[in-house]
Amino acid sequence: MLQYQAQRLDLAFHALSDPGRRAMVERLSMGAASVSDLAKPLPMTLSAVVQHLKILEEAGLVKTQKIGRVRTCTLDIAVMTQVESWIAERKRFWEQQYDQLAAYLDATAQEENGT
Amino acid sequence: MTITNATFTIERILNASPARVFAAYASLEAKSAWFRAPAEIETLNRDFDFRVGGKERFHARWPSGLTTDFQATYHDIVENERIILVYDLFHNGDKLSVSLQTLEMRPEGDKTRLLHTEQGSYLVGGIEAAQGREHGTAWHVDNLVALIEGREPKAFS
Repeated sequence: MLQYQAQRLDLAFHALSDPGRRAMVERLSMGAASVSDLAKPLPMTLSAVVQHLKILEEAGLVKTQKIGRVRTCTLDIAVMTQVESWIAERKRFWEQQYDQLAAYLDATAQEENGT
Repeated sequence: MTITNATFTIERILNASPARVFAAYASLEAKSAWFRAPAEIETLNRDFDFRVGGKERFHARWPSGLTTDFQATYHDIVENERIILVYDLFHNGDKLSVSLQTLEMRPEGDKTRLLHTEQGSYLVGGIEAAQGREHGTAWHVDNLVALIEGREPKAFS
């Protein structure tokens, strides 16, 4: 596991471990929505949606802002996950190189043994 | 420009002596035999000067049109024991990161434990510029979910 802002990632991973909250994040990845818009397609009460939003907000994944009587939600994960994905990909790149190194060492070992 | 500092470690047991593992890094011929891109790439610049203060460069164009530029300087080399280098990585000319890479080769019976530690400063503005807007947030949600569910994240391209 990456040693990268572990506590914040734990919160984010926990927040995203619930399919209902994932559905909300996926909906918000298409654009901002009001709390009632978010609740509409979900098989849960408005107060359950508000509870889930609170968890997403505490994990730093979603921001909400109240304008008049409407609370609008937006996704707030761009920076963190971009870097996280990037670092994970870099690590994966080196892992792949080491698979190739292991294969190379096996191949050249045979050559050195004269077989 | 936001900077994120991060560290990761890769540990491998390789079925070869530290001398053979070290040799795999020490010449362009040996390194080219295993250090390869996973796709057909066009090499634009390739420098390799394996000594303290020497530079390595791997500048290439990928099938997607992306150019990547790895520019390293070797800071410490102890034969059959360790290699320490610092590298900058550019995508389409944007600097994405500056990284300190430490490679340790520890004998373990007739095998070698390879420790690869990478401490990096990741320049988020550069990453965003390189990725462009089209990769947007949805890609990351997919990957975050994939990570949580223990699946392989999609290729970063």
